Order: sequence, then C-alpha cells, then structure tokens
Amino acid sequence: MKEMRITVIVGQTGTTVPPVTPEAVSFARELETHTGGFVQAIVLGNDVVGFAHHLAETTGVDVTGIESTRLALYNGEVYRDTLIKFLETDGPAVICLPHMAFGFDLAPRLAVALHASCVTAAEAIRFSNGRVGFVRSMFNGKLKAEVTTLREKVVVTLMPGAWSRPARRPGSRKQSVRIVKPDVFPSASQTVGIRESDKDMLNFDDADVIVAAGRGIGNPLNIRLLKDLAAIFSKSGIGASRAVCDLGWLSYRHQIGITGQTVSPRLYIACGISGAMQHLAGMKESRTIVAINNDPHAAIFQVADYGIVENLETFIPILLSEFKRQ
Amino acid sequence: MKTLVCVKQVPDTEALLSIDPGGKWIAPQDAAAFRMNRFDEFALEEAMRIKERFSGRIDVSIDSVSVGPARVRPTLKESLARGADNGFHIRVEEAGYISPFDTATLIAAFAEKGGYDLILTGVMAEDDMACLVGSLIAEILGYPCATAVISQKIKAEERRIDVEREIEAGCRECLQLDLPAVLTIQSGINSPRYSSLSNVMRASRQKIPTISAEQLAARQKTEQVSALFYPEKRSGGKILEGTPREKAQVLLRELHGKALI
Ligand SMILES: Cc1cc2nc3c(=O)[nH]c(=O)nc-3n(C[C@H](O)[C@H](O)[C@H](O)COP(=O)(O)OP(=O)(O)OC[C@H]3O[C@@H](n4cnc5c(N)ncnc54)[C@H](O)[C@@H]3O)c2cc1C
Repeated sequence: MKEMRITVIVGQTGTTVPPVTPEAVSFARELETHTGGFVQAIVLGNDVVGFAHHLAETTGVDVTGIESTRLALYNGEVYRDTLIKFLETDGPAVICLPHMAFGFDLAPRLAVALHASCVTAAEAIRFSNGRVGFVRSMFNGKLKAEVTTLREKVVVTLMPGAWSRPARRPGSRKQSVRIVKPDVFPSASQTVGIRESDKDMLNFDDADVIVAAGRGIGNPLNIRLLKDLAAIFSKSGIGASRAVCDLGWLSYRHQIGITGQTVSPRLYIACGISGAMQHLAGMKESRTIVAINNDPHAAIFQVADYGIVENLETFIPILLSEFKRQ
Repeated sequence: MKTLVCVKQVPDTEALLSIDPGGKWIAPQDAAAFRMNRFDEFALEEAMRIKERFSGRIDVSIDSVSVGPARVRPTLKESLARGADNGFHIRVEEAGYISPFDTATLIAAFAEKGGYDLILTGVMAEDDMACLVGSLIAEILGYPCATAVISQKIKAEERRIDVEREIEAGCRECLQLDLPAVLTIQSGINSPRYSSLSNVMRASRQKIPTISAEQLAARQKTEQVSALFYPEKRSGGKILEGTPREKAQVLLRELHGKALI
C-alpha cells in the first residue's frame, strides 16, 4: 500500500512565517500519528528561498518552494494549476491549508482537480475504527459535526487557532529544501493588486473593556444601552459583530473578528452575539468574557467565563441600576 | 445577460436545534423555522443591482435556484418576492444533510444547460458553514471564480468583471475575471432590500418548475456527516443562575473581584 502523504500548503505573504503555518504542521503531525506516512510543506511565492529554509528549520519538515513572479499575488486558478502537478501522486494524501481567504478559496479548486474530498474549517481530528474524522462547527457553532471522507485524497482547511504551534524539533534529521521554478501560465482570471481597505479601524489598544453589539441588540437604538454599560468602566470601547456593521447600525470601524480586528482586552462583554467562529477568532483571547444572550445554546457561551441567559434589553438596565445602587 | 443566484434554505440558527435519533443531522423542524441563508440575500441583491445598472441598455435576467426537499419552495418564492425573475427547484427527496459537493454538482448540471453569464452564491451557508458550493460549481464548469466578493464592476460589453475580494487584515484582493464567472458574495457588499408588494403578488402566482435531482446528475459520495453533537462547555465557564437582579449582582461582584470595575 502506498504511504499517506500529508502536505501543508503555504501561500507566502511576506518574509515571516504566518502563524497558521506552524499550526498546520501540528495538525499534519497529529494526523501522521494515526495514518503513518510523511509530512511535507509546499511554499508558493515570488521569492521563497529564505522562507522555505526558515520553515524547514523551525518545523522540521521537508519543504518544496515553488517560485515564479506570477505567484507573487495569490490567484486561485494560477495557484491550482501550478500546485496540481506536485499533488497528483498515486496513493492516499491529505492536503491542508489554513481556513483563511487564501485557503478556503484554493481548497475546493484543488479538491475538484484531484478528485478529492473537501472538508473546511476543521477544528479537531477524531480517529476511530481505523477512520479519520474531522470535527467542524455548524449552525453558527451551536453544533459540531464529525465529517468522514470517502475518497483517497482529502483537501482540508484548518480553523486558525485550533492547533497549537509545534515545539521546535532540534536535532531531528536534516530537512531537505528543494526550490523549483516551473512555468506558470495565465488564466481566465488575474489578480491585479492588493488594496488596503478604506475602513479605518478604531484603536482598541487602550480599551481595557470592550462592550460588543451583535444582531441580537434588535435595533440600533439599543446601542445607547451598550454605551451606558461601557461608561461604567474607565477605559472602554464599543465593538460589533459583522452582522451589526452589515446592517449599518455601527460602522465597520467597530467590527471584531477574522475580517475585522483582533482584540484581547481585560474584559469583553458580548451582547446579542451568537459566537460564530469568525467572530470568536477576533476576541477569544480576551482575559475575561461575559456573554449576554437569550439563547442558552448560543455558541458564545462556549467561550464565556460568565454566561447570562437573558434578554439584553431588560437585563442591561437592571445591571446598570444595580451598579448605581452600590 | 443571464444571471443565476443560488439560494439555500437554512434552519434559523436561533431556533432550538435538536439532534435527530440517528445522530447525524438535526431533528425535523417546523416549516416556520426555515429561512433564506442571509449571505444569499446579499447575492440576490447584487444581481438586482446589476440588472438595474444595465436597465434600458442590456437585458439582464435573474434566475434563482435551490437544491432541497419540497420545503425549500417558500425560499424560492421569497427570492421571487425580492426580485428574481424565475425560480427553479432542484428536488432531492431526503431532508437531511446534502453535501456541498452534491449541491454543486446538481447546480452545475442545471447551470450548464442554462448558459448563464454570471452565477452568484453567498460566501457561506449558515447551516454547514462550508464556504464551498460556489467555488465547486465554478470548478466543475471550468469557470473562473472569486470568493468573498465585497465589490464588483461588471463590464458586460467586454465580457469581463472586476471584483474585490475581502482578505484578512482589512485588505482586498483586486481581480479581473472573464465571463462566464462565478462569484461568492460576502455580506455587507450592499443592503438587501425588502420585497416589493408587486413582486410579492407576482411571486404568489408564479410557477416554480421542479427538476428532479436524479434527472440532472449522479450524486457523488465525497464526504458525509458521521456524527452531530453538542459542543463541550468550556471548563471554568459559569452560567449565572437566579433572577436577572441576582445575576446582575453576582456579575458585578465577580467583576469587582477581578478589579475590572
Ligand atoms: C469569510 C467570512 C468572514 C467573516 N468575518 C466576520 C468577522 O470578522 N466578524 C464577525 O462578527 N462575523 C464575521 N462573519 C460572519 C459570521 O459568520 C456571523 O454571521 C456573524 O458573526 C453573526 O453576527 P451576530 O452574532 O451578531 O448575529 P447572529 O448570528 O444573528 O446572532 C444574534 C444573537 O443574538 C441573540 N439575541 C437575539 N435577541 C436577543 C436579545 N433580545 N437579547 C439577547 N440576545 C439576543 C440570538 O440568540 C443570537 O445568538 C464572517 C463570515 C464569513 C463567511
């Protein structure tokens, strides 16, 4: 039987190793303990030599660097066509990418080209009866599913933060680094540039406390309540879920999450926020988390230190009056 | 120009979701507990805006399509009420989990016959949260695709579309795609409008053709949900008990204890 190949795909976004890369290596190592086989990494970009060596040294895996000026910016079709030649091997394979804009765009493209199964936003591996299952969130995190794959090859994207970074493995065998410069061809879509968004961001660095609004505030008038709550703390700010910004109730400057800001204040009070993973990614490192939500099954309670199952419209005024009484 | 918007019916995530005895999907819900995936509302609205932009110059038609059992038909009606010209129901019999691969295979087979210039989906479905169907449709059809699109400018005469997709750290990737193309639409690209009275009236009368899944394409087994379960509660986290006042008092005491107030 052919050995399992586990390949970590890294899109180069500068000279530093993105934090999700070591996490992906951790995932690959964990998988390897169940399936056997070997782990390798492929880095794509315009100038990958230094990066490829750094990655090999810090993670202890063999690295292939694919270099071309056409790979300087991510383009799903170009990356797919370039990678496929390296991934079309016989035998079982797992190809892993971070569940970020780059990874969730590329994963299904690779899956179709390789006739592979595709599982996105995996958070854990379950191994039972000789089968690998991937655990992932569904229904805004209220439920988890174990997904098993039915094809020989699997493309999987990994939730950022779900795997810890691997310990360095000094003294392990020398890793090989190979740099290849294939011909890269244009496609029916071109990436023409990266634009900094015009959303300027609120500076939350000085905020000890963030009171954050979710769709559950029901209407924009209730932002007043949250501001009153924020006012009982000396250094506080108002955050928001993406849903609240999409509705125009607060500007995108307030947005917390994977496509907004990442914050870790001493106290985060989530009001009417369900706790979708894209939101949690931006605030779960907060020192203390309080969640006010009238749905006892909301995923936000999975990360909350203090959970309050109440209607925020009635609860926050009670909280404020209790505070004043003290 | 022909556009297709894929709309998914999802259970309201705020509803009580219990796991069915088989342990692999949620228990059947009341029909009222289902609604249109919110990300698809943004996709449908974007199609409407394209239609309006070309109004009087280029005829733009908007079809909507949904894969699922009979209960998804109100979601298609809803898409008509919001302005789609025609709705198509790709009917599968089972009410449980349909994999993104199966959904995409069916929609791709349907879309291929329709000769669409532009296919739009939401960036993600709120139930399975996979972010896959749009990209898979594109790959199956061999069309270029952009995901998490936050702005678009279509150049129908040049058969081209310029888009920006949202990536991390507040940045956007700018792409040019040849038509036909598939876009998965990110929330916030527009503000979806409510349905108009005239469209609601039209929707209530309009027929929604049903296409049986078997006639379209063979299902492919690529992955399956082998178990659905409740997440573990975080160790150390407390759910405060008592009256609202008692909860408020406990919370204030705890925050004092941590020198947060
Ligand atoms: C690529 C991508 C990137 C994304 N990036 C982000 C991001 O950066 N940040 C982000 O936040 N989201 C992001 N999202 C969206 C995310 O998936 C969720 O849709 C969003 O976080 C939901 O916002 P919400 O919790 O406010 O709304 P909902 O999920 O609708 O939750 C509302 C909550 O309010 C509760 N509620 C209702 N009424 C009351 C009441 N009276 N009192 C108390 N509670 C009440 C409900 O029980 C529910 O739990 C992204 C999605 C994608 C696909």
